[in-house]
Amino acid sequence: MVAKKIVIVGSFGVGKTSLIRRFVEEEFSEEYKVTIGVHILKKTVELKDETVNLIIWDTEGTDEVENIRKAYLLGTHGFVYVCDLTRPKTYEHIEEHKIYLRKNFGNIPIICVGNKSDLLPKGSIAEKKEELFFLDILVSAKEGNNVARLFEKMAKILIYKGT
Amino acid sequence: MVSQEEKLALLKTLLLTDDRKLAEELSEKLEVLEATLRERQKLSEKISPIVQEELEEFAQNIPEQLGPVITKTLKIQIEESKDEVVEALYPILGKMIKKYISNEIKMLSENIEKSTKDVFSLKSLKRKIKSIFSGVSEREIILSESAQAQIEQVYVIEKGSGILLGSYSIKETVDQDMISGMLTAIKAFVEDAFRETGHDLQSIEYDLYEIHIHSFHKYYIAAAISGTFTETLENQLENFNLEMSKLINDQKILHDKTSLEQMLNNNFQNFSFSH
Repeated sequence: MVAKKIVIVGSFGVGKTSLIRRFVEEEFSEEYKVTIGVHILKKTVELKDETVNLIIWDTEGTDEVENIRKAYLLGTHGFVYVCDLTRPKTYEHIEEHKIYLRKNFGNIPIICVGNKSDLLPKGSIAEKKEELFFLDILVSAKEGNNVARLFEKMAKILIYKGT
Repeated sequence: MVSQEEKLALLKTLLLTDDRKLAEELSEKLEVLEATLRERQKLSEKISPIVQEELEEFAQNIPEQLGPVITKTLKIQIEESKDEVVEALYPILGKMIKKYISNEIKMLSENIEKSTKDVFSLKSLKRKIKSIFSGVSEREIILSESAQAQIEQVYVIEKGSGILLGSYSIKETVDQDMISGMLTAIKAFVEDAFRETGHDLQSIEYDLYEIHIHSFHKYYIAAAISGTFTETLENQLENFNLEMSKLINDQKILHDKTSLEQMLNNNFQNFSFSH
């Protein structure tokens, strides 16, 4: 079994904690609680020929990724950058932030996630996907859509692409 | 001819008809009200929902409206009558402390009893010999042993990522991966917050435990110790950690969890502080 450190980053209220809670505890709460400092949770992902322990660090929300304590990001194996699909402000600096993360923490995988897909008008997801081509996956922490797939995707990248 | 009296009666009828009607209606209403008031059930049916609603609103507003007032009043009361408060709390606290101490003494006494009964163990023989040569009673030696520092858990944690590379524990613990992650986060926060480059967080005190942290280049060793942990013992542990580090390097087992944990078990199981 291998262990990998995953750090979740993104602006305030994009649903980072909800995403992790959905994945780890299979729960969702409408109540918004601000994350202070960092929370750490663990979930085991079973791949075809490997078991991966994902140690997930949930950081507090910030509009500027530079504001996150560097010490929390050291030794990260993969980043999950979470945006709110209903708030363009949360993804307008995504490219700059990716450059910053790669420059400071090495060429490690970054998966860009659009959360709250449940709030998009019905039938508009395909259209939105095209518009937000820079996002790797659209998820809904509330309904659980694609959440497990997101973390499996990260585990596969880390194991099979050898990061 | 209509008499004077009849005229007056007619006038009265004309003038007072409305008032009489009103009086009759009022009287009827009063009768109904009186009946309702007399019949408890009927009254309860009418009043209960209103009282319930009022009570709910009152209960909801208590913390907001009365909270500060109560707190302020209590503060003033306590301030003004410290002696009475102490007088009132003293017996309760006294009883609690007495109960706690007697329970602890009972446990200690049971441990001493258990140790003295265990006559044939190597530890017991050593203790007896020590007692004969030092002139200190066996019970006193056991008592001093019970406060001795003991390593409860050891974690070898990768710097930065906080990934647990290996661990040793004398009893079952909660999720060790989470512990190593949180320890790393605390360590990172303290070191970052004080911006002291090149300085490391070396220990965390928690209840009856002290977590001793020894940093190396790629990893750090965190040991949770119970009992009285003095500076002399800290030196002993640091020397032991250096030996462990040498073994890890020599055997190249830092990233081989099974071998690393086997090595930690073999060494920490046999380790004891010399007092």
